[in-house]
Amino acid sequence: MKKSTGDKVKLGIFIVVSLMLFISGVYFLGKKQQLFGSTFRVVALFKDVSGLQIGNNVRFAGINVGVVKNIYLIADSTVRVEMVINDMNRKFMKKSLTAIVGADGLMGNKIMLLLPGVYTAALLENNDVITTAQPIGLDDILKKVKITSDNAASITGDLAAITKNVREGKGTLGKFIMDDKFADNIDHTFTNIKRGTDGFNNNMDAVSHSFFLKRFFKRKNKKALKAKLKVTKIEE
Amino acid sequence: MVAVVNSFLEELANLYLFVIRFFKEVFTPRYELSELAKQCFTIGYKSFPLVAITGFIMGLVLTIQSRPTMAEFGATSWLPAMVAVSIIREIGPVITALIFAGKVGSGIGAELASMKVTEQIDAMEVSGTNPYKYIVVTRVVAATLMLPLLVILGDAVGLYGAYVGVNIKGEVSWTLFWYNVFQKVVFSDVFPALVKTFFFGFSIAIISCYKGYSANSGTEGVGASANSSVVFGSLSIFVIDMLAVQITDLFFTP
Repeated sequence: MKKSTGDKVKLGIFIVVSLMLFISGVYFLGKKQQLFGSTFRVVALFKDVSGLQIGNNVRFAGINVGVVKNIYLIADSTVRVEMVINDMNRKFMKKSLTAIVGADGLMGNKIMLLLPGVYTAALLENNDVITTAQPIGLDDILKKVKITSDNAASITGDLAAITKNVREGKGTLGKFIMDDKFADNIDHTFTNIKRGTDGFNNNMDAVSHSFFLKRFFKRKNKKALKAKLKVTKIEE
Repeated sequence: MVAVVNSFLEELANLYLFVIRFFKEVFTPRYELSELAKQCFTIGYKSFPLVAITGFIMGLVLTIQSRPTMAEFGATSWLPAMVAVSIIREIGPVITALIFAGKVGSGIGAELASMKVTEQIDAMEVSGTNPYKYIVVTRVVAATLMLPLLVILGDAVGLYGAYVGVNIKGEVSWTLFWYNVFQKVVFSDVFPALVKTFFFGFSIAIISCYKGYSANSGTEGVGASANSSVVFGSLSIFVIDMLAVQITDLFFTP
């Protein structure tokens, strides 16, 4: 009989321990879901929640302060998101908060981000509606990327047309680069210029020996000679 | 061929009648509470060391085995959550139930069969005790109530094994580990997994009792019924598990 009592005590301990484990597990799970403890409710209206789900975290200053409790459509383009926020953080929840839907990492869950607003704003009441900003979705980014790439495409198209023209020898640049006749012309031009300057030299020579300008050149030479002598004298 | 099918169908019908009888007897007095407590002790408490060892090793091994694949995705920080979900949803209940079928199922099968072949059951009936109530109902109720508790404990020990496994190659603090676990596990992971363990316990015990109760004469009969208790008990776990996953999927998939 004594042994049987001991066995019953052991059995009791066994049952109590396992039930305690279960209850504490349930408690921790419920705590995460904000089922226990006092909370208050905040509402935000969005045009698009881009995949936000019930149970996603609400984050303020990088800390999880609550969870998304309910999401439903109330009009064609309005989604009502209700979230419950831990009472512990209530004193930081001002009316000037802005809610946006963000993502937890590139592949992570969606989260509701609360951005702080004016410091002096009044505290949120239960069921208050806070302002929202449309999140930058991947679609928006892709739209921008598309515009940029369209521009790039038209630029490269223009470039292609220009190079085509150049290759065909059209336009100044094309003539300059591709036209042999043009190159020959330039060659001729330079030969002509050279010949011209030779002729000019001869002309000048002839002029300097001519009767009218002889005196001018002589005087100029003399002046130069004098200056040279002066310089050598000073050096000495 | 026809004979095999016939005997199978006959067996099924007998088992069905046996289950019906259980439900008739379980709600009518008198209740053998002290015998129930004794059975709970032998079935539940004494199975705990076995369940704990298995759970610990499963948690540890599952963590170590999953690490390379998770590392490939650079997601080793998800290891606690992933292992916790698989232990709580599937590994914990099924492994514990299989161990339970091996230990308790064979025990019940052999015990009842030897009682049967040594005519103790008949003697009990003569002495005025309802042997079905005293032997079968207490054991089945005990197993049905004890297996869920064992699964809870086994899950807890398995998660501790996972904690050890995570810390063999990485470093995750005790707090962070449990935080990660509770971050990912939700109620719809816990409750269906727990509810099915009641059915596991019930089916293991009722099949073992049926096999023992209907044992053929002779010592051969004892061995045969112990053997088939374990085989059909384990098989029933998988069948119930398959049904349970379908039902869970139907109701709890977001």
